[in-house]
Amino acid sequence: MISSGKKISKEKGYGWTNIRIVGFGNKFRSDDGIGIRVIKELEKLEFFKDIEIIDGGTSGIDLVFWAKNCEKIIIIDAVDTGEKIGDVVNIKVDDIEEFVRKDYRSLSLHDLNLADVLKLIKALKINTSISIIGIKPKSIDFGDKLSPEVERKIPAIISEIKKETHK
Amino acid sequence: MAKNLNVKISPVSRVEGHGDLIINIKDKKVEQLTFRIPESPRFFEAMMVGRKYDEPSHIASRICGICSVAHTCASIKATEKALGIIPSPQTISLRKLVYHHENVQSNVLHVYFLAAPDFFGVGSVIPLVETHPEVVNIALRTKKMANDMIRIIGGRAVHPIRIVVGGFTKLPTEEEMVQMKEMLQGSYPDFEETLGVLKTLNIPDFERETEYISINDPVDYALYNGNIKSSDGWEIDDQNYLDKINEKIVQHSTSKHCWASRDAFMVGALARFNNNHDKLTDNAKRYAEELGLKAPCYNPFMNNIAQFVEIIHSVDDSIRLIDEILEEGIDKDKAMVDIIPRAGRGVGVVEAPRGLLIHDYTYNDRGRVEKANMIIPTGMNYANIEKDMDAMVPTVIDKSEDEIRLACEMLIRAYDPCISCSTHFLNVKLINK
Repeated sequence: MISSGKKISKEKGYGWTNIRIVGFGNKFRSDDGIGIRVIKELEKLEFFKDIEIIDGGTSGIDLVFWAKNCEKIIIIDAVDTGEKIGDVVNIKVDDIEEFVRKDYRSLSLHDLNLADVLKLIKALKINTSISIIGIKPKSIDFGDKLSPEVERKIPAIISEIKKETHK
Repeated sequence: MAKNLNVKISPVSRVEGHGDLIINIKDKKVEQLTFRIPESPRFFEAMMVGRKYDEPSHIASRICGICSVAHTCASIKATEKALGIIPSPQTISLRKLVYHHENVQSNVLHVYFLAAPDFFGVGSVIPLVETHPEVVNIALRTKKMANDMIRIIGGRAVHPIRIVVGGFTKLPTEEEMVQMKEMLQGSYPDFEETLGVLKTLNIPDFERETEYISINDPVDYALYNGNIKSSDGWEIDDQNYLDKINEKIVQHSTSKHCWASRDAFMVGALARFNNNHDKLTDNAKRYAEELGLKAPCYNPFMNNIAQFVEIIHSVDDSIRLIDEILEEGIDKDKAMVDIIPRAGRGVGVVEAPRGLLIHDYTYNDRGRVEKANMIIPTGMNYANIEKDMDAMVPTVIDKSEDEIRLACEMLIRAYDPCISCSTHFLNVKLINK
C-alpha cells in the first residue's frame, strides 16, 4: 500500500516514534475553520517539520486511516465544550466512553460525528493515543474569517499541541 | 397505531448534514409533510464573486468533505467553458480516473457505513464491527483504496489541490499508475463477498415512478461529462440546463425546490442507472442482475444497490483508463494548457455521487467572477423525497410509531442526502398529538 506518512523518531526530540496532527473544519464557516488555520501555522514552524500534518477538511471517517499505524494523533477542531467562547480544551481520548459521556461535540465533520469515529476506532482495536485540542467557537456561520476571540487563541492552541508531542 | 400522529424527525441521523422532517397525520391521512432544511445555501455563490479564475475551484472544494472532487470538477469545467480553455485529452482521462474514486469512496461510505446499519437492524456502524466485522473491514479497505487513488492523482485525499483550471499542477508517475492498477485489481474479492451479503438484505418494497435526470454520454457511463438527459424523453446540452431545470423558493426550506418536466425529479445513482445502465461494464451489469436491479427501477431504496453497482463499474473502468493512459505515456507537456482571461459564461455539470451538480459562472474580461449559481443534487432531490414520503407514509400508517419513523428515516437516507453541501445538520422527531 502506498503511504504518505512522514516517519519520525524519538531521536528528533519528540516523545513518540510517529505523530500525526490533523486539523478538521471548514475554513469558510468562520470559527469552524480553526483546525485548518492552525495547521497552516504549524506548517510554517521548524518545531513541526518532522511531523505529518494533515488537512482533514470535513471528512470524519478518514480519521480511522490516519489513526492506524501511528503512535500518537493530535486533532485540532472547533468543539462545543459548553465552556466560554475561545476556551481551549485538551481532551485525552484514552477513555472514549468519557469523551462520549461528556457530550463534547465536534462541529466540523460531514459524515460520522467525531464521537462515532472515536468509537469505531476503539471497536477496531486501534490503540493510538488520541488527543483533541478543541476550541469553543463563537460563530460557525458562513464566513472566511475567525472571530477575534478565537483568532487570539492560536498561540495557546499551538502551545498545547507542542505539549502533546511529548509524552 | 393512533389514527392521529404528529411526526417530527429531528435530527435524521446517518445523513451528511442536518435538517427536519415533519409529518402530521389526521384520521389516517397525511395532512402535512415537510422536509425542511434550516440554513442558507447561498454563501458559497457570494464567495465566488470577484474571485480570479484560478480561485473558485479551491473554494468549491471546501463546500463538502465528501464530494470535494465533484465540486472541484464542476467548478473547473464552468471556468474552462467560460474562458474557452480546452484541456488536453490526458487531463480529461486523469480527471475521469480521479472522479471514479470520489464516487467509490462516497458510495462506500453511504452503502456500508450510513445505510447498512438499517438493513442489519442496528443503530450505527459501531455494532457492525462485532456482528459483521467482514463488512466493516471491506468498507474500510475500499474507502482507503479510493482515498489513496484521489491522493495520488489529486495530491490530497480530501479537498485535492493538483486538479486545477487548465489541467494538473503535478502528474502521477507511471510507477504510481501501475501501483494504482494493482490496488484496484486486488479489490475484487471484497466485492464478491459484499455481493453475498447484499443479497441477504431485505430492501423495502416501495415504488413510485418519477422523472430520472442524469448526464449522458454516447460511450461512457457518464460521471464527469455529458448532456443532461431525462427519462421523460428529453436531452439537452449541459450549457442549457436552465431550459429544463427550474428552481423555486419554498417557504419551509432555505434550499430551493427543483422541477423539470413534472413537479419533482430524482438524481443520483438510481437515476444514472435508469438512464445509462447499458453503458456499465459487463462485470457491473452482472452485479446488478444478481442483486435484482433492473432498469427502469422505481424503488428509491434500490439507490443503495445502484451505488454498489457503480463501485464495481468505477473500479473496472479505472483499470481500463489506467491501461489507456500508460499506453499513451504520461506527457508532462500536456499537464497544463495556457490560460488567457476573457469575459464569458460557462456551465460545469458533473454527476456528484448524489447526482447532478451544476456550477454556472459568469466572468468579466479580467477573468474575475461576476455571477455564480450552483445547484446541488440534494437540492434537486428535496421535492422528490417529499413526494416519495407522501406516497409511502399511507402504506405504513398502520405500523407502530417507531416503524413509521424508521421507514421515513430509511427513505431519506436512501437518497444519501448531503445537506452539508448547503447547510449543516438534519433533525427528525416523532410526537403524538
